[in-house]
Amino acid sequence: MDRTTRSSALFGILTRQKALPFIIIMLVGMLFTKTGFYTPYNLLDMLNSSSILLILSFGVTLTIIAGGCDLSIGGILVVSGVLSIKLQSVMPMWPAIFCAIVFGVVVGFVNGFLVVHQRTEAFIITLGMGLLLTGVAQQLTDAHPLPSSNPDFMMIGNGYLLGVPNLVIITIVCFIIFAWLMRYTQFGRNLYAIGGDYEVARYSGINVIRTKWLAFVISGGTAALAGFLLSSKLNTGSAIYGDLTALVVNCGVVVGGTSFAGGIGGIPQSALGLLAFGMLDNVMNMLNITSYYQILLKGTVIVAIIWLDCFAQKRKRELV
Amino acid sequence: MSVMSESDLIISIRDVSKSFPGVKALDKVSIDVRRGTVHGIVGENGAGKSTLMKILSGVYQKDSGTIVFDGQTIEHTTALESMHRGLAIIYQELNLVSTMSVGENVFLGRFKEMKGMRGTHAKARELLDSIGCKVSTGKLVSEISVSTKQMVEIAKALSFKSKLIIMDEPSSSLTAEEMAQLVKIIHQLRSQGISIIYISHKLDEIFEFCDTVTVMRDGHVIDTMPTSEVTRNDMITKMVGRTIENEYPPRPAKVGGTLMEVRGINTRKLKDISFKLREGEILGLVGLVGAGRTEIVRAIFGADKAKGHEVLLGGKKALIRNPRDAKRAGLGLIPEDRKLQGLVLTFSVESNISMASMDRFSRFGFIRRSLERGIGERQVKALSVKTPSVKVPVVNLSGGNQQKCIVGRWLEIAPKIFIMDEPTKGIDVGAKYEIYLLMKRIAEDGGAIILISSELPEVLNMSNRVLTIFEGRLTGEFDPATTPVDTIMASALGMPGVSA
Repeated sequence: MDRTTRSSALFGILTRQKALPFIIIMLVGMLFTKTGFYTPYNLLDMLNSSSILLILSFGVTLTIIAGGCDLSIGGILVVSGVLSIKLQSVMPMWPAIFCAIVFGVVVGFVNGFLVVHQRTEAFIITLGMGLLLTGVAQQLTDAHPLPSSNPDFMMIGNGYLLGVPNLVIITIVCFIIFAWLMRYTQFGRNLYAIGGDYEVARYSGINVIRTKWLAFVISGGTAALAGFLLSSKLNTGSAIYGDLTALVVNCGVVVGGTSFAGGIGGIPQSALGLLAFGMLDNVMNMLNITSYYQILLKGTVIVAIIWLDCFAQKRKRELV
Repeated sequence: MSVMSESDLIISIRDVSKSFPGVKALDKVSIDVRRGTVHGIVGENGAGKSTLMKILSGVYQKDSGTIVFDGQTIEHTTALESMHRGLAIIYQELNLVSTMSVGENVFLGRFKEMKGMRGTHAKARELLDSIGCKVSTGKLVSEISVSTKQMVEIAKALSFKSKLIIMDEPSSSLTAEEMAQLVKIIHQLRSQGISIIYISHKLDEIFEFCDTVTVMRDGHVIDTMPTSEVTRNDMITKMVGRTIENEYPPRPAKVGGTLMEVRGINTRKLKDISFKLREGEILGLVGLVGAGRTEIVRAIFGADKAKGHEVLLGGKKALIRNPRDAKRAGLGLIPEDRKLQGLVLTFSVESNISMASMDRFSRFGFIRRSLERGIGERQVKALSVKTPSVKVPVVNLSGGNQQKCIVGRWLEIAPKIFIMDEPTKGIDVGAKYEIYLLMKRIAEDGGAIILISSELPEVLNMSNRVLTIFEGRLTGEFDPATTPVDTIMASALGMPGVSA
């Protein structure tokens, strides 16, 4: 009896934290290879290259927990990236960056209006919005990469502070803010309630529309932040950077353990989910796996992890 | 108990036990059901009735014990196997596909055996006719009433040539008329030699048509006896394990001045609803399901859009456009459907209780956890919610305790006016009494309650005043302490000749 409880508790953790066992498997597996995986340089680099996706995922997590999703982040990412470079021809750098982020916030506001206020389907609306924005980015850049000539701008995404890449620091700061927002504020709790049961939240006197709307606004803002950081890191703005980003990020959030049905999950889970993706990329590069196989393996991993989830669901059904 | 031969029994449950982590849900439960009888099972929430049913249907596996159904020992089973064996279960939350037609639902997954859709509909028609149900087999399940859905479930059970049909609280959402129809069907099934296990909280029903009754409590069978040999009070005592003197506490005594006045609610369904609610009063709304009782309170609470009406609180006009405004104005609502409108099932007990009063324990939007815990624990204690801790998920609690969590949520913000829509639906006798006491306390503390219930005795015994509603109109106002029940019922049924 005792042993079954303990083993089922362990099983519960494994199925709830889908990404964690996968990360552990990779970490253990890499012990047996002769690659440079376990060097401080590589580990930091892995974090650095995951940072953009991590920042994106924090905003997206809010919308998914509230029972929606945000697939427009890819579009916001590229447009804000292009804007932050392009606007520098007419204004100084920081105002340009500010405008790029405001742009993301405005798109998030529109998303929220359509999805929450007008009650449309988040999946389709934000997908369409993402396509639309990719088109905008192509117009803005004439479908060419747009390089930046400002070394200060490049330093934001490539500089270091006390030996740690700026991007990693920004990611950690974002992580702390968002995790704390979801865990310790009324806003965060209300998002969980809305995703868990929209009607109950409404009956309890929660301002459901404003709260859920705000989730989309924040997601737009973080996507724009990530967009400008990406442009800074690559010193270029381009319409093609965001092709698969939205899908990968939404997927990573769910793989991390946030339920696509809403109400369950959290920022730490999303961080783990996207770290697992980042680590997988890094590991595959270390093992010299060709890019075709990389995408195949990544897809396989996603399917396998989500498949594991059905065990967790089955267990939950037994309990209820 | 007399000795019965094995072949007399349709099902024989012997020493069945089942444990969940931390809980012994069933402890050596033994029940025998004779062929062609209606066997009632009563017990408070958490007594183990549902667990037992889930073991019979194959949702759970038993830890030990034996089950012999129709002469066959059943070990591991699945829902489908037990249906084919002739054991059908009709759950409280009916299992029908709402986007498919009635006929398709009866033969779901067996269209091929029925030789296509034409055969399916023809055979479904036959089965529905046999139980006197006239609904068209082509109608979508989402468009039919709960009672019709139940009949569709019964037709489905008959289609498997079921020898035993288990009904899990079938009456909880039926009107008196629909109930009479169900009773007729139950008698008919019995006369065809089909056995029925009837699970219910309503003792009246058990006495009305059950041959034998088994009382369960805390995972044990307390007693099994012929219904003719037991009194109502005995049964209640056995169910709750203690004596309950009265089913209802006395009504709140002091009624003061007008607390709320509602003027002219008009919607598609409601016609010119106006009434007053006084301080310290429990006001009952009596009417058939669908008469507009729920719509009235939803309009007041701002949950449904209604235009042109006025709500006066303490003589002043209050603008209530949505539930948030209502909450701010001092109204609280315990909605009709606990699972759909009352609880966030993914939340803990504590978070469910605290979710309406978050302003109280937050500063600048930040939740202060220790205060939240305090609120949760205070309400759990005040309402004696049975839960190992305030941190457990609310889904793990029994129905009565879940309901108390919703009550606690609103008690915390101490609304002046409490709207309770079916507050004791699916709750056992002991927990009901506690909710009644709570209502009385709210009223006596200077609040007021609008009470809606399908159980007429409940409304009549709890309310200081009742309003009757028929087809969206108020048809009368009565003092239930002095008015005969027939007069009130007649008014609720829209019969003429009753003065308002």
